[in-house]
Amino acid sequence: MPETKPVSLFFISAEAGAAMAWRPAADIYRTPEGWVVKLELAGVRQEDVNVVTSGSELFISGVRRDRFVEEGWSHHSMEITYSHFERVIEMPCDLDRATISIESYDGLLLVRVGASHEEEKR
Amino acid sequence: MSEQIESLPVLPIKNSVLFPGLLMPLTAGRPSSIAAIDAALASEDKELLIITQRDSSVESPAASDLYTIGTKAVVKRMMRRQDGAVNLIVQGVERVVLIKIEQTEPYLMARVRLAPIPEEANTEIEAMRRAILELSARAIQLAQPNAPIEVTQMLAENEEPLQLTYLIGSVLGLPVEKEQGLLEAPSRLDALRLLHSYLLHELQVLELRNQINVQAQGEMERQQREYLLRQQLRAIQEELGETSPEQADAELFRKQMDEAQLPEEARKEAERELSRMEKLPQASPDYHVIRTYLEIILELPWAKSTEDNLDLAHARQVLDEDHFDLKEVKERILEHLGVLKLNPTANAPILCFVGPPGVGKTSLGQSIARSLGRKFERLSLGGMHDEAELRGHRRTYIGAMPGRIIQAMRRAESNNPVLMLDEVDKLGRDFRGDPAAALLEILDPAQNHTFRDNYLDLSFNLSKVFFITTANTIDTVPAPLLDRMEMLRLSGYSAEEKMEIAHRYLIPRQLKESGLTDQQFILTDEALIHVISRYTREAGVRQLERAIGSLTRRVALRFAEGDTTPMIVRVEDLHEMLGPERFSFELTRKQLPPGVATGLAWTETGGDVLYIEATLLPAGRGLTLTGHLGEVMQESAKAAQSFIWAHTEQMGIDPNVVRRSGLHIHVPAGAIPKDGPSAGITMATALASVYTDTPVRSDTAMTGEITLTGLVLPIGGVKEKVLAARRAGINRVILPKENQKDLRELPDNVRAEMEFVFADRVEEVLTAAVPGLVSRLRMPQAA
Repeated sequence: MPETKPVSLFFISAEAGAAMAWRPAADIYRTPEGWVVKLELAGVRQEDVNVVTSGSELFISGVRRDRFVEEGWSHHSMEITYSHFERVIEMPCDLDRATISIESYDGLLLVRVGASHEEEKR
Repeated sequence: MSEQIESLPVLPIKNSVLFPGLLMPLTAGRPSSIAAIDAALASEDKELLIITQRDSSVESPAASDLYTIGTKAVVKRMMRRQDGAVNLIVQGVERVVLIKIEQTEPYLMARVRLAPIPEEANTEIEAMRRAILELSARAIQLAQPNAPIEVTQMLAENEEPLQLTYLIGSVLGLPVEKEQGLLEAPSRLDALRLLHSYLLHELQVLELRNQINVQAQGEMERQQREYLLRQQLRAIQEELGETSPEQADAELFRKQMDEAQLPEEARKEAERELSRMEKLPQASPDYHVIRTYLEIILELPWAKSTEDNLDLAHARQVLDEDHFDLKEVKERILEHLGVLKLNPTANAPILCFVGPPGVGKTSLGQSIARSLGRKFERLSLGGMHDEAELRGHRRTYIGAMPGRIIQAMRRAESNNPVLMLDEVDKLGRDFRGDPAAALLEILDPAQNHTFRDNYLDLSFNLSKVFFITTANTIDTVPAPLLDRMEMLRLSGYSAEEKMEIAHRYLIPRQLKESGLTDQQFILTDEALIHVISRYTREAGVRQLERAIGSLTRRVALRFAEGDTTPMIVRVEDLHEMLGPERFSFELTRKQLPPGVATGLAWTETGGDVLYIEATLLPAGRGLTLTGHLGEVMQESAKAAQSFIWAHTEQMGIDPNVVRRSGLHIHVPAGAIPKDGPSAGITMATALASVYTDTPVRSDTAMTGEITLTGLVLPIGGVKEKVLAARRAGINRVILPKENQKDLRELPDNVRAEMEFVFADRVEEVLTAAVPGLVSRLRMPQAA
């Protein structure tokens, strides 16, 4: 993760811009059924994730909360980024009438985009 | 946005402000801070309040020590260090206002209200944003000319003006108060305006700094360039196998030092100075001071001496060739040569030639050097009044030089030259010191082997030097100095000797000067005598040489004009060629009236004839003395008077005349100062003559000191006086008997020509000088 390098702090903060949230990494797959967006969002509950579409943009935001801590524990070090995250993905299709579903898979978050309507449109 | 209230652990920070949206690395060491961090990390959101302390020196800040506006932040990274402190990276989330501190132990816990700055957009904000971008681009350009252009671009891409403000505000390195001011700005426009003013100020400072840098750099650059070029030059020289000028100097000195056979002390000093010099750049003034010093040390003849030519026959021949007569001096020099032959380590003598000008003192020194085969150096002490001139100045003075003695040694290039110190009687002295005192050391054989020049600060051996001093008179030479020297008198020359000198040296020399041959110019003996007696009056031969010189030049002019007949100069031609006779014999006084006697005087320029006139003052009283007489001479006159008065009866003088009349003695020429006792008998004779009204013989001159009892005491300068009498055409001289031995100084022909009367008592003088008195004089029985 680039944030570990203090030297480049200047650039990172500039990149972060107005969004004070962090950006999870994402893979996008083309499938016969449509699209699958795989996000590196381990430790995030599904109810803490919010997915919104607008045109062809897919907004994924949420909070990673550290619910692991028990009474009497304390951090020795911390590298995982908690708190708000946010990711905007420009999809190659119109999402207004697409079906969106979310599921967890081995600590990753999958966002499935059904594209049947879109194909009709074409 | 509705008011949101939260409770957060507080992490107070020093010297810095965290802005929303920006990352900041922190290190926490205080237990309360670590506790606050732990509390934040234990929460699900990892949030805490970062707030700046008003005073960075406070260790456990209370609510009053903190600003009221801070930033809610999320901990992004955390790591504990070995020493217990905690490193963390936090990111500002939102601006908050501190409402109250809820807890202080074990860490601060604060209730805060989120206070985000309302979004607004208008043209003023956009204008401010652009102005700020422009200013920051210039600031970056000034602060870091090498900064990549992307930084500026990246700033421009940042569309959100508040984020841009915070970002620039955090990197400017502003004082905490200003950063906090920026955080506290209630609206975007306020924040932008504040940042704009900060940036302007920052830019001014940067510009000023740049200006100073540029100025300083300009000055530095020239020196640096020179230095760099020099280094390069050196590298090139090394590459070419050449050495730098400094090294070349040093190496040359080192080589010379090996060859110079310096004594231990001098070698050590020279090596020390050389190693100092090597460390200096050539441009340093010290470099040249040391260089000059080393040059002098190396050029001095520490161990170099010339071989003495100890061939006595050769020496005699050289001395005779160069100088006529001067038997005594030549003998003395030959004696010394003889001694050197037997004992080569003998100390050289220190001679002092005393004599009138133009008798050849200096040239005699030269021929001594020639006969010995030694180098000759002379330095004039005339008018020298500063000891430092002889002994040098210490090297600490700027432009210091060694003294004249060391410089003479350096010129001589050998440590045993003949060193002539001219005009030792004309040394001056003043507040700067007495050069005679320095001479005392230089001329003392017991001390001068370790002569220490102030500049050299090393001892130099002068004991091999053959010192010769010259003086016109020894009266002004300090006694301790006289004591160290062997006095040799060179008295004046007689007319015959002058003729001889003229024929042997002066005429050939002047002919050569004028470019004539001895066939083209012939000066008859009569004419030469005439020149000697009528155109010159001197003990030496300088005027004579000048007169001969003007004769030869006149002839040369004729030759140059085309008349090539040889010229024979006769007595008749002299008037036309040299002008009217300049001197006539004092012996216009063919007959002397009673009361006038002829005396003889010694002067620095030889001898002279003087007349002593006495007259009775019928109405006067006592004794009047005139003619610029010195004290001794006045006393001598009184002694003569008393003697005559005491012997009136014996000399047949009327006691009444003595009782009634005053007496006046005058010695012309009145303007010339005269002193000394040697006119005693002359005055007694003049008095006897005036009292008895009997004239003194005009062909007789006399000299001698008188005592009250009538004894005649010896005097000095016999040769000069006799020669002066002869020049004046007087050939009968009365001398004290004890001076008889001095006659051998006279040339034989003079002795043969002149008649000498030697007297022990005044009566004998009177008998010889006043013929008219003889019949009256009752001689004492002893005679």
